[in-house]
Amino acid sequence: MEYILPFLPEKIKNLPIHMDFDGQKRAERYFQIIIILFAVVGFVWGYITQQFSQTLYILFAGVTVSALLTLIPWSIYRRKPLQWQAVLDQASKGASQQGSANMTQLKTKKKKLKD
Amino acid sequence: MNSFTSRLNSLFAFTLSVMAALTFCCFLTTVFNDHIRPVELNVAKVLVKNVPDYSADRERSDLGLITFDLSTDLQPIFNWNVKQLFLYLTAEYKTSEHALNQVVLWDKIVERGDNTILDLKNAHTKYYFWDFGNGLKGNSNVTLTLSWNVIPNAGTLPKVQGSGSHKIVFPDQYTSGRI
Repeated sequence: MEYILPFLPEKIKNLPIHMDFDGQKRAERYFQIIIILFAVVGFVWGYITQQFSQTLYILFAGVTVSALLTLIPWSIYRRKPLQWQAVLDQASKGASQQGSANMTQLKTKKKKLKD
Repeated sequence: MNSFTSRLNSLFAFTLSVMAALTFCCFLTTVFNDHIRPVELNVAKVLVKNVPDYSADRERSDLGLITFDLSTDLQPIFNWNVKQLFLYLTAEYKTSEHALNQVVLWDKIVERGDNTILDLKNAHTKYYFWDFGNGLKGNSNVTLTLSWNVIPNAGTLPKVQGSGSHKIVFPDQYTSGRI
């Protein structure tokens, strides 16, 4: 994978592929609900037709649906981004990114400890 | 759940757990089935010979020669948790030397989807009806029964004896020569 990365155009590299914490939780919940729903329907249908293979086929259909819905990091799983703490006043002005702000915060804390 | 592969992993693990639960539930729906069916048995030819058993001790032993009729319908046994039946025809009797003798004379595998109606007329046994000694001549209480082993998708492997049997009365005289 790493070998291909430098050759990819920026547009593709910048596509968001993460899920936020809430999104991860929902993704797990979604596939559990979908699979159990298909399993229950498949069990009833398999019992009616007296074919256990039918039950499993319906279960696999549910797995496919839930894989499409939850394996791919759709944008619905990025609705609640983490709210980082505000930048402390000692932090450098240039750090507009919240992540780097946090890092500076840590650095300043370390400095303080050294002093 | 933070990456594609970790989600794939949990999806796969969860699917396997659900499959195991479904299989167990399938077993639970059939756990109380007794699998018993009526079987009609009859014998046409009953002979007994006294010949050396070269497969055992080379002593002269009793060899029963029978042809049998068998009729049964096993369709109701099959459900979504039965893959196949292993049928076997057993002769059970008592001799002065051995309190319990059981000889399997014939067997058959009936798979799901096969014809489940068995109607044999004048069928020959698949295996020799050897007695250990000379207990067949004049034996009037040899019971013929059909039993089966139920092979399920999941669960126990029940051994069931069909209801219905036939009593064979062997003649008092040995048959000699070719038949």
